[in-house]
Amino acid sequence: MPISSLVSPPLGDSPLGDAFGADPAVFDPSSPDSRPRRSLVSRPSISDSVFRSVAFSAGTITVLIMLAVGVFLSLRAGDALGVAGVNFLFEQDWSPETKKFGIASVLFGTITIAVIAMCVAVPLALGTALLISEVAQGRLKATLVTLVDLMAAVPSVVFGLWGVFFLQANVIPVATWISTYFGWIPFFSVTDATGQALTEASAFTSSAFIAGIVVGLMVVPTQTSVMREAFSQAPIGEREAAFALGSTRWGMITSVVLPFGRGGIIGGTMLGLGRALGETIAVYMIISPIFTINWEVLKTGTNSVSALIALRYGESSSFGLSALMAAGLVLFLITLVINFTASSIVARSRSGAESD
Amino acid sequence: MTPQPRWIRSIRALFALAVVAILGLSGTLSAQAVSYDPITGTGSTWSQNALDQWRKNVASNYGMTVNYSGVGSSAGRRDFVAGNVDFAVSEIPFQTAPEDGSAPEVPSRGYAYMPIVAGGTSFMYNLKINGSRVSNLRLSGEVITKIFTGVITKWNDPAIQTDNPGLKMPDKGIVPVVRSDGSGSTAQFSLWMSKQYNSLWGQFCVKVGKPASCGLTSQYPTYGNAKAQSGSAGVAGYVSQDYGEGAITYVEYSYALKAGFPVAKVLNNAGYYVEPTANSVAVALLQAKIKTDVPVTSPDYLTQILDGVYNNTDPRTYPLSSYSYMIVPTEVGGVFTAKKGLTLGAFANYMLCEGQQQAAALGYSPLPMNLVLAGFDQIKRVPGADVSGVDINNCNNPTFKAGDSPSSNQLATSALQPAACDKVGTSQCVTGTAGATDDTATTGTGTGGSAATADTAAATAAAAGAGAGAAATTANAAAAGTGGAAAAVYDENGALVSGGTGGTVSTGVAGSAVASPFTLADNGWGAQQSIMLFAGVLLIGSAVLPPVLWRRLKPRAPKAGNK
Repeated sequence: MPISSLVSPPLGDSPLGDAFGADPAVFDPSSPDSRPRRSLVSRPSISDSVFRSVAFSAGTITVLIMLAVGVFLSLRAGDALGVAGVNFLFEQDWSPETKKFGIASVLFGTITIAVIAMCVAVPLALGTALLISEVAQGRLKATLVTLVDLMAAVPSVVFGLWGVFFLQANVIPVATWISTYFGWIPFFSVTDATGQALTEASAFTSSAFIAGIVVGLMVVPTQTSVMREAFSQAPIGEREAAFALGSTRWGMITSVVLPFGRGGIIGGTMLGLGRALGETIAVYMIISPIFTINWEVLKTGTNSVSALIALRYGESSSFGLSALMAAGLVLFLITLVINFTASSIVARSRSGAESD
Repeated sequence: MTPQPRWIRSIRALFALAVVAILGLSGTLSAQAVSYDPITGTGSTWSQNALDQWRKNVASNYGMTVNYSGVGSSAGRRDFVAGNVDFAVSEIPFQTAPEDGSAPEVPSRGYAYMPIVAGGTSFMYNLKINGSRVSNLRLSGEVITKIFTGVITKWNDPAIQTDNPGLKMPDKGIVPVVRSDGSGSTAQFSLWMSKQYNSLWGQFCVKVGKPASCGLTSQYPTYGNAKAQSGSAGVAGYVSQDYGEGAITYVEYSYALKAGFPVAKVLNNAGYYVEPTANSVAVALLQAKIKTDVPVTSPDYLTQILDGVYNNTDPRTYPLSSYSYMIVPTEVGGVFTAKKGLTLGAFANYMLCEGQQQAAALGYSPLPMNLVLAGFDQIKRVPGADVSGVDINNCNNPTFKAGDSPSSNQLATSALQPAACDKVGTSQCVTGTAGATDDTATTGTGTGGSAATADTAAATAAAAGAGAGAAATTANAAAAGTGGAAAAVYDENGALVSGGTGGTVSTGVAGSAVASPFTLADNGWGAQQSIMLFAGVLLIGSAVLPPVLWRRLKPRAPKAGNK
């Protein structure tokens, strides 16, 4: 934040200065010998035009690639969608060989994992972002920022290994405890087919809960940095005004920083959600894939679209591949919508319009 | 932002050092590896432990870089078809007519199968009786099939108890762990089940919504209580965790060795329960039919037909033995070049000869002479391979000595006959298996007394230990004293245990404490819960009280000042 405020004035100043310098010559009507009027359209310098074209083509290519992904997925998914029709969204089983396949259970699993991940990640990210932007100072602040960035750089397969070989064994007692004391809440109960409550450790392994925790920890850094950036842009004048009116630090945070950073919180959450929906390898390593809708999130067995694709890709016929493409298309569209919403919210909040 | 340059600078210095070190290392490495282009392959995790060791050896000895990633046999074959890799490793050949109706796998470039190692698909399990690990479980083929098709779901099923007269099987659910990815292990295992227990496998196929004659599959269908995990390391990892108690999986023997876990001895056609050691696998594979009656150029050349192995009547046989294959290109194409062929040929030659020395220690079984000879023929077909060093007389392979006939196998001739206590009947060896050998003498997890006929001292020691264990379990402290009472609880199992040797039946009680304590959670408000509640109140208090108290305390000071 200090850096940006120091750096921005010179950048903003120079074009303005140029414009003012040029102005008198152009708009001086009293000049007697009328030279041919200079065009008001600025002629870009060579470096300007090169930069413009590079930037334009980069932007266009990015958009084109994304469109191409969408088009490719739709084309390849056409076969499968033509056979399955609208049932594709409601069928739980996945068996393209017998033409009986759909993503109801897979999509349900994806969303459960993502929602659990958000329940874990949002409070953590919010707290960390506030700590970094409002509480920590100096060297501690720099160290925390580095640590969070480091966490973002850890590959997801490492998170997956850690989840399988360390976290899972340690989370099982927690899951057992939750299901014992909060089993009366339907999705926290863990029961077998006859409705009998299960207490064995094996009933709690490879669940959406564990996968959700791991994915949640993976998206914390993304969310933290978006939120931190939004918080650090809360205007210093309003912060000081709050302090001047006798506010405590907490009072200042609730009355200035959080309202100002609301867009950042929502945007960060949704960006994280987008990543959580698409997370593949960590989920693939932890879950035990099933093809029925499992409401009991603590119970073993769940599924996710990206893990399904990773698992079945190697073994598929061309029709099976088409079905996987259709599943990928649905995930692509959902992620796209979420990310667009998120980025528009973030962009809106950066204007400062929401600080009231 | 200014206060940290010092430590940033030190980190930078460290980083620069590391970069220099890496560059230096790679420089020396590339200086050694002048003659070999790196090659890349994907495929089976079944034989990955052996391949990884070999890769390490050729890298340090010959400066050869061989990249391999165990992504599963199915994905490996697909990569080979697509031409993305130089070689693939798979347990089963290319599926020209996949049974699930998907498209045939037809590689565009020429290829040959080359056997690289033999091994046993073993059944690694995690089972405890009274808190001590069982390491001498025995299972018949039918029981295994029933476990992995969801017919048997409890460890104390009478059929399992019959296989294990020396164990008091606990009343615990079986958690079968299967592969979630496309796998050659699954293919081998399902092939064995479909050939040997056709009706059971057919019923299972129908149950999971496939045609009754579904044969071998690379994707294990999920069912009932089964867990699906990815990769051999994934399934072995699940079983070896604490929460994996009661789990059993199918995986290559070396994974059990590595994890330090036991494998089930499997009943063979001669009536003996046998462990998949290098020797028992070698004996079993003497009956493997290797297709050599077709021309060398045929894609089926050297593929295996294992019916003879499944039904081998030699008492030393492990029935689920098989070979793993490397699929090598015989034409340049895709990413494969003649220069890479040089590396591939040298690596293959190393695997067939020198590499086999380590097979047994890694949990595999070395290739016999006839397959080494056949493998040599395949190396000669790899474009660019240097065949001058390929010579059977220079081949340092433990299965043959110079001058042996190609059909003999030193390992098989030196294999010991199984112990008498491994025979079907009322006795059961107490010795451990696979990675759990250390536990043998003391485990005595054979709580049933019949144990080893060879070593009665060990058996009684074990029985004493089991008795002590039972006394320690609070749930059934009273029962431990009076053996008869507890035995009556599990009468059907008790009867089987007493079928062993009458003298030590009382130790059968020990099993009674296994299942019940876990289901008592409903009325559990005890000290632990009180402490947790107290801790929760403290936590909330520490957050809520300071601001409240602070306000209470603060005004007093000004008041005092005002007065």
